[in-house]
Amino acid sequence: MRIGSLSWTLAAALSLAAGTLASRITAAAENDPQTGELVPVTARFASESVEEVPSFQRHVSPLFGRLGCNGRSCHGSFQGRGDFRLSLFGYDFKLDHDELLKGEPLRANAEKPLESLILVKPTDADLHEGGQRYKKGGWEYHIFRRWLEGGAKFDESEVQKLVSLELSPPEILFAKAGETVQMKAVAVWPDGTREDVTPLCRFQSNSDQVATITEDGLVTATEPGDTHVVVSYDNAVVAVPVIRPVSELVGDKYPDVPTPTKIDELVVTKLRKLGVVPSDLSTDAEFLRRVSLDLVGTLPTAAEVEAFLADTNPNKRAEKIDQLLETPAYAAWWTTRLCDWTGNNDAKMNQLGTARQVASQQWYDWIYERVARNEPYDKLVEGVVLSASRAPGESYADYCAAMSSLYQKDSEAKFSDRPSLPYYWGRTGFRTTEERAIGFAYTFLGIRIQCAQCHKHPFDQWAKKDFDAFEPFFGKVQIAQNGPPRDPEARKEYEAMLKDLGLADTELRGNQLRTKLEQMLREGKTVPFPEIAVVDPPANRNNNRNRQPPAIKAAVLGGEEINLRDYEDYREPLMAWLRSKDNPYFAKAFVNRVWANYFNVGIVQPPDDLSLANPPSNRALLDHLADGFYEHGFDMKWLHREICNSRTYQLSWQPNETNAKDERNFARSVPRRIPSEVAVDAINAAVASDEKASQLVSNIQGRAIAVPGASARANQGGNVTGFALQVFGRSIRESNCDCDRSMDASLLQTVYLQNDQSVHTALNGGRDTWIEQISKKSTGQLTDGSRTERLNVGQELARMKTRLARAKKEGQDAQVKRISARIEELEKVAGERREAAANPGALAVDNATLIRQSYLRTLSRYPTPEEMERCDQFLASSENPVAGARGLLWTLINTKEFIVNH
Amino acid sequence: MAISKTCDGVHRRDFLRVGAIGAGLTLSGYLRMAQAGEVQPGAKAKSAIFINLTGGPSHMDTFDLKPNSASEYRGTFNPIKTNVDGVEICEHLPLLAQCADKFAILRGVSHTLGAHELGTEYVNTGNRPIPSLEYPGYGSVVTKEKPGEQDIPPFVAIPNSNQRPGFLGVQYAPLNTTATPRAGQPFNVRGISLGGGITVAEIERRANLLADLDRTFAAVESNSQLLTGLDRFSEQAHAIITSKRARAAFDISQESAEFAKPYGTDPFGLSCLLATRLVESGVRFVATTLGGWDTHQDNFTKLKTSNLPKLDMGLSALLNGLEQKGLLESTVVYVTGEFGRTPKINTRSAEGGRDHYPRCMFMLMAGGGVRGGQVIGESDDNAMAPRHEAITPDDVAASFYHALGIDHTHEYHTNTGRPITIVRDGHVIKQLFS
Repeated sequence: MRIGSLSWTLAAALSLAAGTLASRITAAAENDPQTGELVPVTARFASESVEEVPSFQRHVSPLFGRLGCNGRSCHGSFQGRGDFRLSLFGYDFKLDHDELLKGEPLRANAEKPLESLILVKPTDADLHEGGQRYKKGGWEYHIFRRWLEGGAKFDESEVQKLVSLELSPPEILFAKAGETVQMKAVAVWPDGTREDVTPLCRFQSNSDQVATITEDGLVTATEPGDTHVVVSYDNAVVAVPVIRPVSELVGDKYPDVPTPTKIDELVVTKLRKLGVVPSDLSTDAEFLRRVSLDLVGTLPTAAEVEAFLADTNPNKRAEKIDQLLETPAYAAWWTTRLCDWTGNNDAKMNQLGTARQVASQQWYDWIYERVARNEPYDKLVEGVVLSASRAPGESYADYCAAMSSLYQKDSEAKFSDRPSLPYYWGRTGFRTTEERAIGFAYTFLGIRIQCAQCHKHPFDQWAKKDFDAFEPFFGKVQIAQNGPPRDPEARKEYEAMLKDLGLADTELRGNQLRTKLEQMLREGKTVPFPEIAVVDPPANRNNNRNRQPPAIKAAVLGGEEINLRDYEDYREPLMAWLRSKDNPYFAKAFVNRVWANYFNVGIVQPPDDLSLANPPSNRALLDHLADGFYEHGFDMKWLHREICNSRTYQLSWQPNETNAKDERNFARSVPRRIPSEVAVDAINAAVASDEKASQLVSNIQGRAIAVPGASARANQGGNVTGFALQVFGRSIRESNCDCDRSMDASLLQTVYLQNDQSVHTALNGGRDTWIEQISKKSTGQLTDGSRTERLNVGQELARMKTRLARAKKEGQDAQVKRISARIEELEKVAGERREAAANPGALAVDNATLIRQSYLRTLSRYPTPEEMERCDQFLASSENPVAGARGLLWTLINTKEFIVNH
Repeated sequence: MAISKTCDGVHRRDFLRVGAIGAGLTLSGYLRMAQAGEVQPGAKAKSAIFINLTGGPSHMDTFDLKPNSASEYRGTFNPIKTNVDGVEICEHLPLLAQCADKFAILRGVSHTLGAHELGTEYVNTGNRPIPSLEYPGYGSVVTKEKPGEQDIPPFVAIPNSNQRPGFLGVQYAPLNTTATPRAGQPFNVRGISLGGGITVAEIERRANLLADLDRTFAAVESNSQLLTGLDRFSEQAHAIITSKRARAAFDISQESAEFAKPYGTDPFGLSCLLATRLVESGVRFVATTLGGWDTHQDNFTKLKTSNLPKLDMGLSALLNGLEQKGLLESTVVYVTGEFGRTPKINTRSAEGGRDHYPRCMFMLMAGGGVRGGQVIGESDDNAMAPRHEAITPDDVAASFYHALGIDHTHEYHTNTGRPITIVRDGHVIKQLFS
């Protein structure tokens, strides 16, 4: 199927500019002899004597939009205005036409056209609350008048689908402030008619700081930069790029810039137009820290930094990327992101029968397993979209047995071995077709269609009918909390199971029953589980067999209508559309979100708003990545490699004169606060002992990026991690919107870093901390295997001396020898302790090592000589070395360089 | 934390779309603000409390009843008399009716943004949202214009706020308590008081080291809103954690049981109690929220059993409490949702509901020189529209700033010279202060 995409209109516009679309229109008096286009209505309807009868769809309805009549504050309001209501932004021709034929006096009076309210009121400021909208005798007047005189007609069956809206120029390049360009818009209709509709369009500038646009489409340059002007007519929305270079360095004057990869080429192509020059390459230390935080959500350990800096292999960056892709942290971090996007919210699964933390954990594990083995993205999504609780061919009883077995301690079975992830469809707030249509579009398409639930969006193509046609795909998936839905066979199994459990006649219902079953589950019993299943709608079953049931019409967004009766599972055609080559959103939405992870902003920003009016900052780049992702079989690691190996990703954060103010075109690395989970893990790693820190890299147990669920409530949870995660803006996974995660900095985050009890405790030198590791105290094992820390040396010495005396007395030489050796050991420990007591807070490392290691484990680089000197002073003036080390580590964690990825 | 989910399912700003470089999204990063606005002599308010009724409260069922309208509009609630002659409000607000002399009711407030996030941004900034620029919330402007003392956070949100700093930059963002106080439990914003056995002297020593070491981005900081913000937070956090006053400010258990009683035990009431105490301690701006007003379905049951009793108790206790402490004259209180609700009752649920309706809504204002006990503006017979000239959110914003002595026509300038007025289109409503 052919889908209207972001690019078709622009592509058409480009080919127009190239002159490839020759005129193929029958010439008429109103046609421009050069282009063959119908000249604008402003010319055709300028005179009183005009004979043409305008079309409701092509002229009258757009004119209402242009004049503001159907805006929200006027007749477009759902309650109308002055008892007259038009559909908001004119999405519903029929409703509008019906409304026009009503009124007292008639709004549109075909018998006595000149008495029609639509001619009388808007031309008279005194009569019309909305003031004068147009002049009597003007072109607008004549359009309405001629339509009325022609019978005020509209025929729903004659509504045509606009082929394209061609904009010229296709791109605007300004040189200085005050320059102007007139936009021209040509509508192309299926019958081949081409009409200049510029006066009937609505225009908007996405940033009036760069360009303003009048209601007639005149664009004026303001400040340097780039933006788009957006033009709407009928259901088309076209964004035209506007660029005014920020420096002289454009075209031939642009310096030679290396572009080793396709990404670099495409980025620099845009930068060349803008006069923006990329920064230099980042240093190795910067690269390692950046790629570790971005790709695997993990701060590199001190040892890792040292090894990487010492490595002389010229290919070491690419190799590091490959290594990181194989770590468990890679799978954990991207599972966390996929849990954000798919909405793994523990508070919304408390009716799925199992304790909600369990469902959340299973959700996490299911995705983790697939990310780790690099299952293609479309395959992973298929497991979510086409999910059902029972595996194909599995009976209800078998399903319950399999699920129950997961709870047994010695069970080998894993939830992630099951073929699909049904919880996605079972969440509260995700049960109606409307909620599902909206959430699904966010998650898998990166688009927002909630406006279209009620009206056409003014600056996107989706109208209410698109939304309505999208909803039926979600109608057959149901959740049954107490036993299987509408399946007599399974129902019997359910009842048998309750009987076995002695609950056949139970009066327990709802939560009480669930609690009881959960308890039995933990006792090792097989209990019935709630089920998410594809269930036929009841209407279907009641149908007369001899009669063909009515079709269930549905259409994917922008697609042709299909009959869902042709499919057992309505989600199948939806999934087929998602992964098809023609899908304009599926691959783009994912690559754009991944890109935003690496560059602070998406190519489309916000990343989950791929609407026509919100065009990509670099269309060719987005297309390249999306196409490549498709061609590589939705290989997620391919995408990460492609991005991380580009020079663009590896650029320095140090700006130059041309790119200092740019954050949308990827000419430098933009400093950004590290995400919540990554920040929490980074703090833990920075204060951990070397051994612990290396464990945190190799094993994700205890990591924030391994916390499965999230919700406003869970994030606020009492435990240390929960609080820190919330302060740093972990996603609340509430609405499928990317904005559920906050990347902003806040005062409370700084308060946390400076003064939270958990930070102080870690610096005080508890177990497994670095401060403990470097503190000089008697540690180690005695020859008998006991740890000296746990020893009361004084008591033990006294005991040994008594025994020695006795052994000597008894003449047991072997004993004497053994006891003497132990006494010697103990005295050594006692000596060390005396020394430590006399010299509290001593360290096992020298100051230079201490400072170097502190820098490596926090800022992932060596200190400069000046920094060494300043830190040395600080240590010297500290109460004792340990206090100095604490202070130093605290200080480095509180630098901007620590909490900012750069 | 009360999540007040709306039917859009959107909580945070998520629609800003800007493609500009050298302008647009990075604007805030390099804005060079002009000198702070002149403080107007004679302004009475030193502090402000903003209460956001998120979801959009029905005006017809609260402060703008129409008992004589037809049944498909009227609803089931009756008006009651207040302690001000001629002013009537909903019967489910009896405590507020007893202190109606302390607040002004604005009726027939009107705008055109019927989506939650846009309407919310409008009433939290006083400027109709535009795509290329994010306006700062009131609290952020007040923080900038009237910073207050260093060791007391100037802008506190309980538990968080829809007021974002916008183009002013994150350094003017609120301190979110992230939690609401609970009855019978001590309340303390975690990390506010110095812990871990660290002395003030040691913290000072570390802060000095930090100032010397944290220089990596020095040359580019002015270009990054994030880096500038982090610096400011660092200074503020330092001042706050070394201050005893800051900790005491959040500790509502220090209020006497007698004073705290009228606030009740609901989180909203306790948030009002905390707001009172924070203002007394020198916090300039407190934002708090009572959500759940998005009553598309079962409007009347929800209002009667939950929203109205909470609002009634919390807000009346706040106004009385401020007065008792002698703070009402120096604290301006502003209460609003993002829009009103459709006068015509929809029939989608058993008892009916009301949908988004920006054309006609109510707002409340009190304290800080605002004359209470008056109704300003009027809606038409069915509360469909303002009867006369509409009051706009811009006008109310201008008046709010006026009470605080901030000139709403003051312009901030970008370094490219673009002037941005604090409130673009508003006029001070003189009657509020007469």
